[in-house]
Amino acid sequence: MRNPLSPAALLEGLTGSSYVRSLIAGTVGVLGLLGVLGFAFPESIAGDLAGIVFSASTGASTARLAAPIVLAGLGGIFAEKSGVINIGLEGLLIISAFVSVYAASVVGVGNAVLGVPALGIAFLAGIAASTFLSAVFAVVCIEFKADQIIAGLAVWLIALGLAPFMSTVFFGGVNTPNLGVSVGWQYSATMVVLATVGSWWLLNRTAFGKHLRAAGENPKALDTVGVSVSKVRYAGVLLSGVLSGVGGSALALSIGQFIGTGETMVQGKGFIAIVAYLFGNYNPVGTLGAGALFAGLDAMQIRLQQLGYAVPDTLVQTIPYVVVIVVLALVGRTQIPEAAGEHYETEE
Amino acid sequence: MSDSDSEGGRGESVLARVVAPFVDRSVAERLLISVAAILLSIVVGFALVLVSGRIADCSTAAWTLPFTGIGFCYDPVEVYVVLFNGALGYPFAVGDPGLFNPEWTPFNLSFGLTLSETTLLIFTGLSVAVAFRAGLFNIGTQGQLVVGALSTALTVLALAPLLPAGPVAGVVLIVVGTAAGAVGGGLWGAIPGALKAYADANEVITTIMLNFVAANVAYVLVLEVFRAEGSSVVATRYVPEYAQFRPWLFPASSDFALLALLGGIAFIGALYYFVEHTPLGYDLRTSGVQAAAAEYGGVNAKLTTVRAMTLSGALGGIGGSVWVLMSEGRWMASIPDLGFDGITVSILAGNNPLGVLPAAFLFGVLKGGALEIGFRTDVPTELVAVLRGLIILFVAMPEFFRMIGRYTGVTGGGLGGADTVSTTEPDETAGGDGGETDA
Repeated sequence: MRNPLSPAALLEGLTGSSYVRSLIAGTVGVLGLLGVLGFAFPESIAGDLAGIVFSASTGASTARLAAPIVLAGLGGIFAEKSGVINIGLEGLLIISAFVSVYAASVVGVGNAVLGVPALGIAFLAGIAASTFLSAVFAVVCIEFKADQIIAGLAVWLIALGLAPFMSTVFFGGVNTPNLGVSVGWQYSATMVVLATVGSWWLLNRTAFGKHLRAAGENPKALDTVGVSVSKVRYAGVLLSGVLSGVGGSALALSIGQFIGTGETMVQGKGFIAIVAYLFGNYNPVGTLGAGALFAGLDAMQIRLQQLGYAVPDTLVQTIPYVVVIVVLALVGRTQIPEAAGEHYETEE
Repeated sequence: MSDSDSEGGRGESVLARVVAPFVDRSVAERLLISVAAILLSIVVGFALVLVSGRIADCSTAAWTLPFTGIGFCYDPVEVYVVLFNGALGYPFAVGDPGLFNPEWTPFNLSFGLTLSETTLLIFTGLSVAVAFRAGLFNIGTQGQLVVGALSTALTVLALAPLLPAGPVAGVVLIVVGTAAGAVGGGLWGAIPGALKAYADANEVITTIMLNFVAANVAYVLVLEVFRAEGSSVVATRYVPEYAQFRPWLFPASSDFALLALLGGIAFIGALYYFVEHTPLGYDLRTSGVQAAAAEYGGVNAKLTTVRAMTLSGALGGIGGSVWVLMSEGRWMASIPDLGFDGITVSILAGNNPLGVLPAAFLFGVLKGGALEIGFRTDVPTELVAVLRGLIILFVAMPEFFRMIGRYTGVTGGGLGGADTVSTTEPDETAGGDGGETDA
């Protein structure tokens, strides 16, 4: 038998299916081609593009933009693998983004509570808010057997109303004042990588991961061996709340402000997160790749604007959405857990 | 449905007896759940206003909790009075002698704004409802509305110079413009329908994505090509006055046209007839309740899916036409969340076209009242957005109300009986079935 912790086996496990492998190979290939072209013709568009793609500032903003997408996406994997489709990730990001900024402003930047600096408190508060909202969602779905899609939509709409509402109550406007500090991209990137590796380990190498997958694929079997399906599903949904909380807090604290106009500063990143994990086929590493790809496109577009290319930024922002539709049309049936979206009645 | 006959007359509420001739018990139960959900969200909203009033700063308390003397900055009673009374234009004289305000007429500005919202929500609500009945969860009404609105505005702007200005041209432009909106929205709705039918792509995801695509592409199109000269916002030119719905009886600034509302009500009737009494409507309903059985019975499920989504998109597109021709007079980038509100309206209405009218009116009141809250109180108007989310959340959990019904022993009117649960089951899982388990 192979040693499951040998590097080769780990790599095999991490890259998972051939689908994820081809995704990674494709991305590396495009980047490589761009690098060669840019090196060969530095004066052309390819040269500029290569300069942008491989520049440090693009990397930094990619890390910043990827954090909410990847973290919420990882959370979405846990919820959906357990059999609860959490379409409310967007709402979880919104609420944690606001609460983290609020907590930081209450504590006061530079102060500390029990030795934890204000930004640490901010993260904890954001995570708590998001987890609380996901707990409400879990109770509604698991205890009261609500339609998961409708309840998820409600979570989004509640957060979309509540965050600007609270911001107006506390700060007199839908946008909070700027805290004056921000969390560096290095922290975001570290959190994303740690969360990805941790999620992969939890899903594939622990008993909890097995139970989680069983709760989504075959809840009856899980019930038969004496594990409570409800408890596992609660754990899955709460984990999605925790991870989204980290993502939302990281998003808001990376600029030190909550913006509540229109669709708020989250601007559909929760939905892109759903897309990222579907695109990554429920594999945390694939989700990281897809999230980084979408965030990278966005970051590149910002730099292109600065260089004076008249590409309407909204069109570039549309690319991830179109990509998703095309991928769904080609792949069609995503490998959605068998019992996802269904209630499970424990048989006494 | 049959058990409502056998148990008829025993333990049924007056309400149920009144509506019994044309509804079965599952509909009565839905009605009760919707009302309970609204009341519960109002209670939660009350608490929210109180809590935020405790946090906000003010010198004198607007409201004091009885017996405790704890003061709050916001008065939740006043908020709801302003919300509901204000949305109707203050027909009730609060604080003055006499119940009714003698100067009130139905044709006031606030009521006009409320009815304007109601009219728009009728179309988006119907759009979501018709897809739901076919077992499809169309979250894309917003995008279909954006596309429909843009095709209406561009069609009317293109045709207007070719016709002599006048009422006749106005009628032609409104009819053609609305048709263009229906076609635009219908095509945009057909995309996720076809993807669902022929590529098995989950319509919940594709419609959410298409919302973003529609908003972004329409924005860029107007920004780069169709933007009105000298406009500070991203918007097209105004369509001519004579090609807009006339605000009969109501003040022009209310952006409301009685004709459009009547049109909406006609659509409700037509759609009800279509869904309940035509062969196509039967195909639609059966594939929503039991897709496999429908196919076995000779229904072309794939074609039905595309048809339902196209019809749903067309209704959303007409909503966009009405928004252009009645409310704004042009296409502009900041389109309100009418499509998402349509989801709430449809869910609240139990996806029944007839229920869309009261549900749309309730949301019209909430929207109209939000403006009044902004004028008259310090409470942020986003409160109404929170209420919207809460209502959806509560309507989504009928089991909660059944549980309460069982604990309190309320079984009248169809709430709480085990047989009722089984009759409502197909309807409730319709959205979910179409959304996930088939995908």
